[in-house]
Amino acid sequence: MNANQPAAAATPVEPGAWTPPRRSIWLEAWKRLRKQRAAMVGGGIVVLFIVIGLLAPLLAPYDPTDQDLAHHLQWISAQHWLGTDEAGRDELSRLLFGARISLTIGFFSVIASLVVGALLGLVAGFFGGWADVLISRVFDVMLAFPSILLAIAIVAILGPGLFNALLAVAIINVPTYGRLIRSRVLSVKQEEYILACRALGMSTSRLLFRHVLPNSWAPLIVQATLGIGTAILDAAALGFLGLGAQPPSPEWGKMLSDAKDYITNAPWIVAAPGIAIALSVLGFNLFGDGLRDALDPKMK
Amino acid sequence: MRRTWIAAVGTATALMLALAGCGNASAPSAGNAANGTSGGGTSSGSKTLVFGRGGDSVKLDPADVTDGESFRVTQQIYETLVDYKPGTFDIQPRLATDWSASSDGLKWTFHLRKGVKFQDGTDFNADAVVFNFDRWMDKSNPYHKGDFEYFASMFGGFKGDPGLVLQDVKKVDEYTVEFDLKHPFAPFLADMAMPCFAIASPKDIQDHQGDIARNPVGTGPFEFVSWKQNDKIVLKKNPNYWQSGLPHLDQVVFQVIQDNKSRLNALQSGELDIIDGVNPVDVQTIKSDPNLQLFLRPSNNVGYLAFNTQKKPFNDVRVRQAINMAIDKKAIVDAYFNGLATPAVTPLPPTMWGNDTSIQDYPVDIAKAKQLLAEAGYPNGFQTELWAMPVARPYMPDPQKIAAAIQDDLKKIGIQAKIVTYDWATYLKKTANGEHTMCLLGWSGDNGDPDDFLYVLLDSDNAKPPAQNVAFYVNPQVHQLLTQAQKETDQQKRAQLYKQAEQIIFKDAPWVPLDHSTPPLAASKKVTGFVPSATGSDELLNVDIQG
Repeated sequence: MNANQPAAAATPVEPGAWTPPRRSIWLEAWKRLRKQRAAMVGGGIVVLFIVIGLLAPLLAPYDPTDQDLAHHLQWISAQHWLGTDEAGRDELSRLLFGARISLTIGFFSVIASLVVGALLGLVAGFFGGWADVLISRVFDVMLAFPSILLAIAIVAILGPGLFNALLAVAIINVPTYGRLIRSRVLSVKQEEYILACRALGMSTSRLLFRHVLPNSWAPLIVQATLGIGTAILDAAALGFLGLGAQPPSPEWGKMLSDAKDYITNAPWIVAAPGIAIALSVLGFNLFGDGLRDALDPKMK
Repeated sequence: MRRTWIAAVGTATALMLALAGCGNASAPSAGNAANGTSGGGTSSGSKTLVFGRGGDSVKLDPADVTDGESFRVTQQIYETLVDYKPGTFDIQPRLATDWSASSDGLKWTFHLRKGVKFQDGTDFNADAVVFNFDRWMDKSNPYHKGDFEYFASMFGGFKGDPGLVLQDVKKVDEYTVEFDLKHPFAPFLADMAMPCFAIASPKDIQDHQGDIARNPVGTGPFEFVSWKQNDKIVLKKNPNYWQSGLPHLDQVVFQVIQDNKSRLNALQSGELDIIDGVNPVDVQTIKSDPNLQLFLRPSNNVGYLAFNTQKKPFNDVRVRQAINMAIDKKAIVDAYFNGLATPAVTPLPPTMWGNDTSIQDYPVDIAKAKQLLAEAGYPNGFQTELWAMPVARPYMPDPQKIAAAIQDDLKKIGIQAKIVTYDWATYLKKTANGEHTMCLLGWSGDNGDPDDFLYVLLDSDNAKPPAQNVAFYVNPQVHQLLTQAQKETDQQKRAQLYKQAEQIIFKDAPWVPLDHSTPPLAASKKVTGFVPSATGSDELLNVDIQG
């Protein structure tokens, strides 16, 4: 991880004047990433799910919420490629639209926790003192709870619903990112180029956002990629418990919990959302792992 | 590199399995807990029956509750003056040995059983009966702590209310009680057998200042031991029970497992002995399992969607009729009851006397429904809430899924309904207070009389919070018919009155009657002597466990 610092260190002095090294770091990482088959498979899965999520309305043969009780729990057929669920809704269409919901929760909750976590971590790490004590202790308290329990508590307060589930997942992940960036900031702020900036009289905000933050977020990218997988899983768990997406929304966790009563009669409607959850989480994990290796200079 | 790959796959699979197993995870732990208290269950020689159910009791004071999950337990602790022969609504003696009514029907005399003691050792006698009735009927009684909805809804109010039919309860001698009525009251004897009019120990009521929700003491075959909220209620044998040789069981545990499937799994693995709230779809599984037996409860209930007729837009009969035409009951019954229910047209179960079988249901007609909505001023529909029970009920095995089906039907006529759920006790409370717009609910009849459905659920007397009439349906004509039917003693004439009331109710459409179900129960083959009650509160007096 330290290898990018000398290069990055060169840029702050004359921002914008000498950018190639920074680009080459990403280029190099990409070259390394490409060599890892697992990461590429993971990336492929991720891209596939993103495409599915974006194009769900075009791909889905039916409206995912249209019920047809007379044709419920049907086995795979030409009309319904993955059969129908307990309310006669097309399982495939629900899965495709479900990708949209899960990815939305995954991306946006991670972005939210990333932004908040990064800001808090930056403040805690850079300024230290009572700000650090306060923020770090709050993080400790939050991390003391099993994350899903904390999410359930948050949803219980906010009320069940997809947006509140997203918020809950975002909140529980804030400390993960906050701590990560705090530890990076602690080491970055000791660097000579930071000292140089200070000596030049650079304003604190410019120093933070132009120099400290850009040099601290490489591990965050890895963590965020892995975090999307976790967030999807957390959201599915909330949905499973009836605290996330509300009916008739085709959310995978909710689909799984609705279908579980029929596991002996119609196992395919349980398997389908389960596999979708597993695959998407697997995709993000593989890709995140690969990314970590690619960005880690020791792996060269 | 390879290691991380495997780790990733492993993690993902494990997480998926953990998630999929979530629903079942609660069952074994709950079951273990139950076995823990039973001290090894049947193997140690003490016979424990674990009864699995979907929801917890609200209170253990039968006079102050209305839900079946409370009565299921109080039925074992308390006894009524008369009761029903198991599986029927035929009246038989219990705490009263015999009874008679005066020729004008205004005086009922009950002779009480001698030598019966409450579980706290005090005597059961005429004083105890009078004490209990005074507590229920007199709002100024120091022990009148609670709503006592059932008393009010069966007898027409409390002391001082013009509708109150029960004028006085008098002690004639130590073991004779007399009930004075304002006018002849046909359902009186059937009402006296209802679990809500069970006699509690006066000493216990005094000791707890009238609040016996968690300290029940009665004369019944089982005594209260402990209650862990939303988990289990433990009862033990009453060693001094007046019927010698009974009960057979030493301990009864009522175990809450909310999820129907998990409950069945727990039964199959031997952690439970009897379960109520079986998914109709699982009936086949139970039939084919050599260790299980299937019971069918006599059909005596109705599941319905009630509109809050006091709130816009449901105060408009056209909106209510439109929704009646939008919901495809038959499809719902076919999909979720597996043949164990019939679509409902009227509130009364089809086999009950007084039901008007000539009423033709609203046809499923989306175009007509839209037209009615447009006439009512909602051409594009509206947004509203659809409340659904959180727990499986005998009249509705899976309220959440049925709510989703209704939600989809409503969408077809432009009504966007959001499904809302609370925990069971809160749900009952909020609906009784009229906080809902539309709610799913149902009723298991408890005395075999049409009065118990129509008067309790749809009379204006019961439309004041806390209400049993959750449609808050008020129609003076219906009120007139229903109260007249109470005073009439000739069953033929009563039936005619109920039929007339049903016709008006049908046109006013305060509900969408959804189904009359035949609820399935399942038990281990070891359980003997179990007869499912038509009221839903099964008697465990004669139940035994073999082997």
